[in-house]
Amino acid sequence: MSGRTLDDGLRAIGLVLIGLVILFLLIPIAVTAVMAFDARPYLGPLPPPALSLRWFARFFSDDYFLNGLLTSVELACLSVAVSLGAGVATAFALDRARFAGKEAAVTLFLSPLIVPPVVTGFALLLFLAELGLLNGFARLLCGHIIITIPYTIRATLAGLAGIDRSLTEAALTLGATERHAFWDVTFPLARTGIVSGAIFAFAVSMDDVSVSIMLTDAHTYTLPIALVSSMRANFDLSIAAASVMLMLLTLALIVILERSVGLNRAIGQGVFR
Amino acid sequence: MAKAGRTLPLILPGGAVFLAFFFLPLAGLFVESFRLYTPGSIGSSANAPFTLANYAELLTPAFAEFFLETIRISLLASLAGLVFAFVLAYWIARRLEQRRRALAVGLLVTLMFLSVLVRTYALELTFGAAGPLRSLLLALGISPNGRGYIELLVGAGLLHYIIPMATLTLLATIQNVDPRLVDAAQALGAPAWKAHLSITLPLSVRGLLAAFLFAFSFSISAFVIPMILGKGRVLFISNLIYTRFSEIADYPSGAAISIVLFAVAIAFVYVMSRQINRRWAA
Repeated sequence: MSGRTLDDGLRAIGLVLIGLVILFLLIPIAVTAVMAFDARPYLGPLPPPALSLRWFARFFSDDYFLNGLLTSVELACLSVAVSLGAGVATAFALDRARFAGKEAAVTLFLSPLIVPPVVTGFALLLFLAELGLLNGFARLLCGHIIITIPYTIRATLAGLAGIDRSLTEAALTLGATERHAFWDVTFPLARTGIVSGAIFAFAVSMDDVSVSIMLTDAHTYTLPIALVSSMRANFDLSIAAASVMLMLLTLALIVILERSVGLNRAIGQGVFR
Repeated sequence: MAKAGRTLPLILPGGAVFLAFFFLPLAGLFVESFRLYTPGSIGSSANAPFTLANYAELLTPAFAEFFLETIRISLLASLAGLVFAFVLAYWIARRLEQRRRALAVGLLVTLMFLSVLVRTYALELTFGAAGPLRSLLLALGISPNGRGYIELLVGAGLLHYIIPMATLTLLATIQNVDPRLVDAAQALGAPAWKAHLSITLPLSVRGLLAAFLFAFSFSISAFVIPMILGKGRVLFISNLIYTRFSEIADYPSGAAISIVLFAVAIAFVYVMSRQINRRWAA
C-alpha cells in the first residue's frame, strides 16, 4: 500500500525534524556555556583548548556590569513588591466584584501584556518628561511596575478562581469574622497564585530591555541594558559568563516555581506573555 | 459572603498605577503623534500645531517597507514555529512515557523563561558571523553577513522562543484529542497521515490558533532579537521607534509609529481571540 510507505516516510521525516528542533533549541545554550569558560583571551573557534574562569573574573571586575546588576536587583525587588501589593489587592477586588463591565475591567488590567513594550516605554518616557520626573531610577521603577503588575494580577486571579467558595462561606457560617475568613482561608488558598505571580514578575523585571532602554539615563541602567550595549560594541565573552549566570538564575526560578507551585499549575496560571 | 462594596476600594492602588503609568501616558502618546515636529529640536514644542504629517510619512514606501518586513518575518517565523511545535508536541504527548514527558515539560518551561538576551547572544555566538559555523557557511557559499542570512537569523531568534511556547500550548490540546479516534480510522484502513490530517489536526485548531496568537503578537513587538541579530540591517517596527527617539529625537514621528504598532497589535489580538472563543463556544 502506497499510503503505508508514505506513512513510514513521513514518520522518518518527523523524527528527523524533532531531532533538528531539539538541537536548534539546545546547541546555542551549550555553546554559550562552554565558551564562557574559554581560557583564551579572545573569541576563538570551538572547542576552547583550555578552560578557565577568566571571563567571570572579567565580568565581576567591570564596574559597568556590576552597576547594572545592582540596579537590576534593586529595581526587581522594589517593582515586584509594589506590583505584588497593588496587584494582589486588585485581583481580590476584581474576583469579588459583581458589576457589568467586569470582564472588560480584567482585560484592561491585563492589557500591558498585549501592548508592545517599546510603545509602553516610549509613552511613559514622554509622560514622565512632561511631568518633569527625570530621575533615572524613578523612571525605571515606574516602567518596571507597569510591565510586572499584569503578571501578579493574572496569577492571583487564576489562584483565586481555583478556590472553592464554599470554604470561605463555611468559615463564615462557623462564626469567623470576614477578616478572619479572608486571612485564614482565602489568602492561604490563593497563595500558589500569588507566589507564581511574584516569580513571573521578578523574571520579567530582570530580563526587560524594551521598556528600560527608553527610561535609562547615563548613570542609571540595568544589567540587560549594560549587556545589550556591550554586545553591540564588542562581542566579548564576559557576556557569555553573564549569560551562564542568567541561565542559572532562570533555572533557580524554575526550581522554586516547581517546588512551591508545581510547573503544570504555574503554566495554568499564565506563564505566557 | 463578603459584600463586593467593601472589597472594591482594594482596586484603587492598582487603578492608580494603571492610570499614571499606562493609560495617561498612552493618551499623551496619541496626542504627541499629531504634533508638528521641527527638525533639529528635541521632541515637539509645548504648543506645536496639530498635523497629520507624522502619519502621512508612514505611507511612503521607505516606511511601509519596515512594516511589511516586520510582518513578513513574524508571519514566517510564527507559521514555521507552529509546524515544528506541533510535531514536537505530538511526539511528547504520544510517544514519551510519563516521567520523560514531565522532564520535557520542565525543559520547555525553562527554555521559555530563558532571558531574551541570553537567547540572542547564544544564537549570535553559535550561528553568527564569528561563530563555529563560519567556515561551513563560507564553504556552502553563504555569506554570514548577507541580508538573507541575517533575516534567517532574526527568524531563528523568534523561533527560539516561539517553539517552546507553542509546544507547551499545543501539548494540552493534543493530550485532549482522544487517541482512539486515530486508531479507529487506521483500523478502518486509513493511512496514519490521512487519519491525522482529518482527525488530529482539525481537533487541534483551537490550540493552533492560540499558539499563533501568542507567536505572532510576540514577534511583531520583538525588540531585542532584531536589534542584536539584525545588526542594523534588519529593523523591526520597535527598533524604528527607538531610533526615532534615540538618534533624531523626533518624538512625534516615534509616537505615530507607536500608535500604528499599538493598533496593529490590539486589532490582531482582538480578531484572533474572537475566532478562538467562537470555536470554544461551538
